[in-house]
Amino acid sequence: MKQENLEAYYGLPQKVKFCSRCVTSNQRPTSAVEFKHTKDSKKNTMHLDEHGVCDACRNADAKEAIDWVKREEELFKLLDKHRSNDGSYDCLVPGSGGKDSAFQAHVLKYKYGMHPLTCTWPPILYTDYGYKNFKNWVDSGFDNISFNRNGKTMKLLTKLSIENLFHPFQTFILGQKNLAPKIASQYGISLIFYGENEAEYGNPIADNATSLRDKSYYSYKNLNEIFLGGVSIRELKEKYKVPINDLLSFLPADAKELEKSDIQVHYLGYYLKWTPQEVYYYAVENTGFHARPFRTQGTYSKYNSIDDKIDDLHYYTTFIKFGIGRATYDASQEIRNKHLTREDGVALVKKFDGEFPDRYFNEIMEYLEIDSNFFRNELTDKFRSPHLWVKKEGEWRLRHNIMGTGVDD
Amino acid sequence: MIILKKKILIIDYKSGNLFSVNQALTNIGLNVFISSNANDILSADAIVLPGVGAFGDAMKNLHNLNLVKPIEQAVESGKPFLGICLGLQLLFTESEEFGYTKGLDLVKGKVRRFNINNIAGESRKIPQIAWNKINKINNNTWDNTPLQDIKDGEFMYFVHSFYVDPEEQVGLSETDYDGQIYVSSIQKNNIFACQFHPEKSAQKGLQIYKTWASINNLI
Amino acid sequence: MKTIRIIPRLDIKGPNLVKGIHLEGLRVLGKPEDFARYYYENGADELFFQDTVASLYDRNSLRDIITKTAKEIFIPLTVGGGLRTIDDIRNVLRAGADKVAINTAAIKNPQFIREASLKFGSSTIVVAIEAIKGIDGKYFAFTDNGREYSGLEVVSWARKAEELGAGEIVITSVDKEGTGEGYDIELIRFISEAVSIPVIAHGGASSPADVVQAIQFGKADAVAIASILHYSVMQTFGGISSDYKLEGNITFLNSGKIPKKISPSSLKEIRAILINAEIPTRI
Repeated sequence: MKQENLEAYYGLPQKVKFCSRCVTSNQRPTSAVEFKHTKDSKKNTMHLDEHGVCDACRNADAKEAIDWVKREEELFKLLDKHRSNDGSYDCLVPGSGGKDSAFQAHVLKYKYGMHPLTCTWPPILYTDYGYKNFKNWVDSGFDNISFNRNGKTMKLLTKLSIENLFHPFQTFILGQKNLAPKIASQYGISLIFYGENEAEYGNPIADNATSLRDKSYYSYKNLNEIFLGGVSIRELKEKYKVPINDLLSFLPADAKELEKSDIQVHYLGYYLKWTPQEVYYYAVENTGFHARPFRTQGTYSKYNSIDDKIDDLHYYTTFIKFGIGRATYDASQEIRNKHLTREDGVALVKKFDGEFPDRYFNEIMEYLEIDSNFFRNELTDKFRSPHLWVKKEGEWRLRHNIMGTGVDD
Repeated sequence: MIILKKKILIIDYKSGNLFSVNQALTNIGLNVFISSNANDILSADAIVLPGVGAFGDAMKNLHNLNLVKPIEQAVESGKPFLGICLGLQLLFTESEEFGYTKGLDLVKGKVRRFNINNIAGESRKIPQIAWNKINKINNNTWDNTPLQDIKDGEFMYFVHSFYVDPEEQVGLSETDYDGQIYVSSIQKNNIFACQFHPEKSAQKGLQIYKTWASINNLI
Repeated sequence: MKTIRIIPRLDIKGPNLVKGIHLEGLRVLGKPEDFARYYYENGADELFFQDTVASLYDRNSLRDIITKTAKEIFIPLTVGGGLRTIDDIRNVLRAGADKVAINTAAIKNPQFIREASLKFGSSTIVVAIEAIKGIDGKYFAFTDNGREYSGLEVVSWARKAEELGAGEIVITSVDKEGTGEGYDIELIRFISEAVSIPVIAHGGASSPADVVQAIQFGKADAVAIASILHYSVMQTFGGISSDYKLEGNITFLNSGKIPKKISPSSLKEIRAILINAEIPTRI
């Protein structure tokens, strides 16, 4: 069957291409507005230019040309405007004590003299070392608001997002993105700091030009726009009997309310040159961060996103939906930051990409009341786009991979 | 008149790493080559017998490669002979390793294993893998030996589980390992052999090779 | 007399010397040949080269630096990382290494230790153990650069390795490694007292005082040290200008920073402290 005749789900590009510099592919979705996410949504995907170089790599190049002294000056100006002189909270750092939020909070407080409040949308299922990192983070000197959302609703929404979108992480992403503006509003804080700008990972480069996070990511204009777990608010109410009150914590802030307030969301990565590996070292040195005591399944690394058991499964679903797994994500980032060569990256993808995360899988399935077998076979296969996957001799194989050993390569 | 460089032969009998000895001797300017051929032993101007590993296996290899006689002849001929580590032990009469194994018997004496306990009754770490001091024995002199440019008590690199116990007066230096004092190098006529590894003992080690070479007019 | 060896340990990735924490992270500190030469000239007892990502790529690619080092440096060199077969060992020894350190391959097939020690001599074979403390306080051995749980409890594994013919053990605390929080003395002692072959302690030194602890209380016979030595070299020479175009993120190198918990110390300084503590060492 010709490639052109194969159906490509999710509006993904028909032809699979890999970046000539890192190891990501043009199938990789760029950041989406999660609460508009339905099973019919078409994805925006990673753009490769005429040299086959992806936007994220181009962004890494642009990063080198930036005058970081100037950027830091901009940061000083911004912080000077907001720094409280009575010790009250003057900025909000959302996070869970992973290396990124650990770095952000610590550097804002101890280097730039700000008074951050931290807020946490807790992992769906905490790992024990992840929880220890969270505690160490708080113990290194930060007030923290952890929002423990309605567990019943969260379970349902997570289950729905898996069944409808094969996206285990949606509820977490929703919560994480939506919590901060609400807390900021409640505490009268007008400055929110996230870490890296998503342009680092391939959102249109224009996004990076200012440090402000696009308000569309965290506000909505009316309820009809909203889908949680791929299900509309109305259907959640009528079919699943979930009243609006139970959904509030998953909903973004009201756009009108937000426009009225003076809350600004910034990326620290706009002002400070962000090297994830250096952030790891910083976190170990300053906030008691400890890497995972074993390799993360699906990749080679030990310190990226290790506090939620569902995270491992999330990356497995990206492998199924887009043909790229966690090793691809990690290696691509490290290639851009010059820790690895492309050759190293390919070897790592070959060794680890798509490894099934069995460590926490059964626990997750039990928690969400999904049948393991159903997940591993019927459900997984439903999301394999024909233009990416083909069954050969009873086994599913990728048509294309970075090693050039895909069925159609 | 063309002065040909003296040929230094390192005997390859499949026991251990020749590379470092070769590297060291070449580095100090000697004309070194490696072989397991009896004729090469006969034609060489000086012989080096290195070695790491088991005494028994080494003797077996020497026999299988028909090197025993050539080595005996080389020593008898008065050629400068340098033995290193196992190359020192093989010269002796026999070794305790695996019941008694016969050696080349070019020096009378036995090869013994370090006692598993030291004097204090504590477990001794075996093999000795360490830098340790080589000392004069009863104030003997090191003049006209390869140790003449080395100070008494200099540190050298050792790695061994067995040591030599000579029955002849050939001891040149002695060393104390965790309370056990043993002969760490010998000189018998044209033979100089050491338990330690000069090629792994930094500049002072290289100095020993240099001195050995110059005393024997090999450079 | 029992002297203690001080062994600078160089974690190498491709052309660069790197230093991680918990055996993770590839922060570039400079060029390994420069550091190796410096340590030789300043009295290192041995050198230890670890190909830090070798097990990820199923290969050890230190051949060039081994050969370069062996030509100019006349102290013992131990090489580890990704050594899987007898041929791998032979190649590394031929290139100029004196000893090899094996971990993953030994755990996957313990007979490999026996095979290798019979072939190359016990004293050539060092068994490396990467230990992580479990929840119940027991230590377990990991493979693949501190990544894969093997299920082996470290003390019984160390004993087995000795039985199979290992000449030495190097015990790394993955939990402490690179953190500057001090050695895991308990771990070192467990191993030192369990075997009668020499034990090299590695992981966590923040200052020479820690080294003294590892020897006096941990009963180590030698110490492999990375952070405090490397950062001391960096302090002395700054970011030595070199070619990193091929690979290597030099952000940290150029920053001139030193990790907070690390007290950079030179070999001389460490030796002086040992002598002060009446620990015999090569002078």
